[in-house]
Amino acid sequence: MIECRHLTKRYGNTLAVDALTFTVAGGQVTGFLGPNGSGKSTTMRMMVGLDTPTSGDVTIDGRRYQDLRFPLHQVGALLDAKAVDPGRSARNHLRWLAQSNTIPRRRVDEVLDMVGLSDVADRRVRAFSLGMGQRLGIAAALLGDPAVLLFDEPVNGLDPEGILWVRRLFRSLAAEGRSILVSSHLMSEMALTADHLVVIGRGRLLAMGSVADFIERTAGHHVRVISPDAIALADLLRHKGAQVRAEGGDELRVTGLESRDIGIITAAAEMTLYELSTQRASLEEAFMEMTQDHEQFRGAAIPGEPLPTAGVAA
Amino acid sequence: MTVGTAGTEPVRPMVIPSVASAMTPSRGAVFLAATRAEWTKLRTVRTTYWVLGLAIHATVGVGPLFTAILVNRWDQRSPEDIATFDPLLYAFAGLDLAQLAVGVLGVLVMTSEYSSGQIGVSLVAVPQRRLLLLAKLTMFAVLLTVVSLVSCLAAFLIGQAVLSPVDADLTLADEGALRAVLGSAGRLVLVGLIAVGLGALLRRTAGAITVLVAALTILPGLALLLPAPWSDDITKYLPNSAAAAMSALVEFPNMLSPLGGLVVLLIYAMAVVAGALVVFGRRDA
Repeated sequence: MIECRHLTKRYGNTLAVDALTFTVAGGQVTGFLGPNGSGKSTTMRMMVGLDTPTSGDVTIDGRRYQDLRFPLHQVGALLDAKAVDPGRSARNHLRWLAQSNTIPRRRVDEVLDMVGLSDVADRRVRAFSLGMGQRLGIAAALLGDPAVLLFDEPVNGLDPEGILWVRRLFRSLAAEGRSILVSSHLMSEMALTADHLVVIGRGRLLAMGSVADFIERTAGHHVRVISPDAIALADLLRHKGAQVRAEGGDELRVTGLESRDIGIITAAAEMTLYELSTQRASLEEAFMEMTQDHEQFRGAAIPGEPLPTAGVAA
Repeated sequence: MTVGTAGTEPVRPMVIPSVASAMTPSRGAVFLAATRAEWTKLRTVRTTYWVLGLAIHATVGVGPLFTAILVNRWDQRSPEDIATFDPLLYAFAGLDLAQLAVGVLGVLVMTSEYSSGQIGVSLVAVPQRRLLLLAKLTMFAVLLTVVSLVSCLAAFLIGQAVLSPVDADLTLADEGALRAVLGSAGRLVLVGLIAVGLGALLRRTAGAITVLVAALTILPGLALLLPAPWSDDITKYLPNSAAAAMSALVEFPNMLSPLGGLVVLLIYAMAVVAGALVVFGRRDA
């Protein structure tokens, strides 16, 4: 279990992580979500003692990471897949890592096999693709068979098959009772992988809870109505308690009434409908809406264009 | 002594020492494992073999080569030259170059971790930072001690074999000869450790190598430009002069004694390493 208490990191005038308090529990995958530059990596670096918090603290199973001896038996971390000496082979990289924590040598071959790198294990890492690098990083994290695992953007550079594999791996690791923290800037990815979400923006905690709760709370929906009688229909629906917004032309955006009710009301008023459809906001849109005000590097909004959604919506 | 009766002794919880110690390994165990891992790191990249190969060739090759050239022209030397001839000056002529090669490798021991970002992986594996740096220093010192002793001894023996036709050779039994061989090996080890410390302090390969090369080759030239008494006083305490004093057979004028050279170079090494331990232990990786 990982516990952050008022964890804060300041670089000069920039508050990278701002009083974060949350827990990563065992037996589930916790998604750590936030736009690029929101402080996810800094938080994870503080968890494993690479950066020192300005204030607050973080412990793993009640102990500071710096106080753990041979920590790879308790904690595995993939923070940056490229952080490997390019001149060394994958097997030798894992070999020194195993030796540093007195992990038996056969475990190196086991994890190489688990991540599917056995055939290229003796090739120098320089020749590896980003996806192979991610697999090597995951192998390194699994080396000590730890109960706590941290992965920073692990699906970057993986092909669809690799992404599927990683998702299954995380699920099975969590099913074994381990605590898994996976960071991502893609809500859609997290919706498929995580049980629990911690959402941050500009270093601050924005939301925390189960994925199901998050979807229900944030991903609201509306009904799209297209009718030649749009103006009259809008008045009528408002009268029935709905919020109606004219979207231009014959289109209305209705919230507060279900499509079924709108259909009945329209029929009773003998108006014509061209289209009546429920629009569910994708998780990605909900996430972007939530983090919009917090994003540091927001592109200029293009008038009339919907916000681009990254990745494939769930 | 108290007398206990059998059967009245309270039942004590069972302690299984092996399990208990496996759960909290000692600092010594952490250090040993880290040293082993550092050795694996060093021997599994090609750079090590290239740079160490250069250092060995410089030590064993350059000295005897220059000795051979000298022997070839031996009859052209004045009797006075021959009388004041120092048989080791030529045999160890390659050490300045070997020193630079060893220094570059020492710098890379640290900075290659920073340039690839692997330092993060190393510190996640061994969060006891000072122990990690000490492990690197120990591993490198042991390796350099073995390699330097063998190659300095080889340089001595080959150099003296080349000198034997003109009867100017020494044996290890001659006064100061063994000390000069050990001193030559020792200066390579100390320069290597200074380089590891510089690498840890500066983190960048180019920066650390620049500082190292400047200290060993540019400072002496600058010191020469100082007015007379200062020039000599300062020059003999510079790292390269202290290192050179360690390989000398006799005490040269304006130079430290071999022991003095050892002490001065040791002080440089301890200062850089101590600074590196403090900074490396504190700052964000």
